Amino acid sequence: MIVGLERADDAGVYKISGDLALIQTVDFFTPIVDDPYWFGQIAAANALSDIYAMGGEPKTAMNLVGFPLKQMDLSILRRILAGGLDKMKEAGVALVGGHSIEDGELKYGLSVTGFVHPKKVLTKRGMKLGDRLVLTKPLGTGVINTAIKAGLASTDVIDKVIRLMATLNRDAATVMARFPIHACTDVTGFGLLGHLAEMVVGTGYGVVLRVADIPILPEAIEYAGYGLLPAGAFKNREFRGALVEFSTGIDPLIPDLLFDPQTSGGLLICIGEENADRLLDGLVKKNATESKIIGEVVAEPKEKIVLK
Amino acid sequence: MKEIDARGLSCPAPVLQTKAVVEQEKADAVRVVVDTAASQQNVKRFLESQGFETALEKQGGDYVVVGKCTAARQKKETPKPQSEGNIELKKIMVMCATDRIGFGDEELGLKLMVNFIRTLKEMGPELWRLVFVNNGVKLTIDGSEVLADLEEFEETGLCILVCGTCLDHFNLLERKQVGETTNMLDIVTAMQLADKVISI
Repeated sequence: MIVGLERADDAGVYKISGDLALIQTVDFFTPIVDDPYWFGQIAAANALSDIYAMGGEPKTAMNLVGFPLKQMDLSILRRILAGGLDKMKEAGVALVGGHSIEDGELKYGLSVTGFVHPKKVLTKRGMKLGDRLVLTKPLGTGVINTAIKAGLASTDVIDKVIRLMATLNRDAATVMARFPIHACTDVTGFGLLGHLAEMVVGTGYGVVLRVADIPILPEAIEYAGYGLLPAGAFKNREFRGALVEFSTGIDPLIPDLLFDPQTSGGLLICIGEENADRLLDGLVKKNATESKIIGEVVAEPKEKIVLK
Repeated sequence: MKEIDARGLSCPAPVLQTKAVVEQEKADAVRVVVDTAASQQNVKRFLESQGFETALEKQGGDYVVVGKCTAARQKKETPKPQSEGNIELKKIMVMCATDRIGFGDEELGLKLMVNFIRTLKEMGPELWRLVFVNNGVKLTIDGSEVLADLEEFEETGLCILVCGTCLDHFNLLERKQVGETTNMLDIVTAMQLADKVISI
């Protein structure tokens, strides 16, 4: 066992031989967008992301379905599964089975198995002093999903955020594989600061983030100002807020947004300073166009995240 | 003072309830009771965005936001609900796979195409995407008779997509003057999102 339960990482990794390890992960959730086909795509992209975050390549997947047969037409389920399958095809993943149950609330996701070389496994551990932090997708999907629920999001924004969530982290992972990476995770339910906290705790280092460099969807800032932050953002802040320091010059809305839970968020990559610019250049050229270097690993203050 | 009891509701429902009272009843003083700190923060932010001064209180296990309209209340525009605004508009995608309309006389075909692009304006805001593939990409390069019309479309915010593979095939990548270079995935996604696809 290379990565197990002892440290919460994105997926489990089990070594089969000297040059092959198995990565396993499972993820499912309730609908976040109205269109069943896109929901299927997003749920699949989200589940596949954990494999990419571990430095691996997804190979096979199984569908997990909870469906309210008495309230919904089966055609909806067919559209969800079609969306998921299209995303798996795009990722070069074979669907090998699945399981469905009747459920009061619709749920869909995947159990995914991938391969990785045992020496190339990327975990949340391993940041080094002076490392740069790179984020490959903009933040704000949680706020915008709340605005969609509230009926306050415009069609253009919905369109934009759906595409963003359905975008695989595969291209970003392919670029990342060309560089020596110290640590990696994907930004999901705990928000940027929640996931970054997991990377920082226990290292003896701290992190400084430059707020102006963090990509955030402009509509998310607008909607957050109207009080459309999801409850999850506050829970994340309650859990990890003590680790975060920010000066009075920063709008308190910003730290809240950095705790916004993301669906199918980007990769958060820790890389040596000497390689950071080339990594960023590669990412921007290969479809992860909104990637940014957002901060760096510092000696002091220890195990804190400072927003500047 | 208008009392709003939003206990037992999760985000974003307390904000929506407050919004309804503030907008429909024109209330200028409200007291909103919620049962989580998260809802309290959100309601506070909403009221402040609407020009209210707020104060936070605790009431037993519940959280309270008291909002009073200030003299200089400058109501910002809230995001438009989905039932209003452009959601009612159809999304029409026009895909041009050629730079001429019809077969037979080439000159007539080109004339018709120029006229077609110019007349597309009559679709108004329902025209949502204009996509050029194959020979159609030649309409977007320098020297095109409709270049000025396409640029005008783009200025009004219309999304013009031009197939990168096609530009590359004709060696026209450098000569494209208007629109965003795109790929098949974008085109297929646009087709799926569109209410109507017109193919020329």
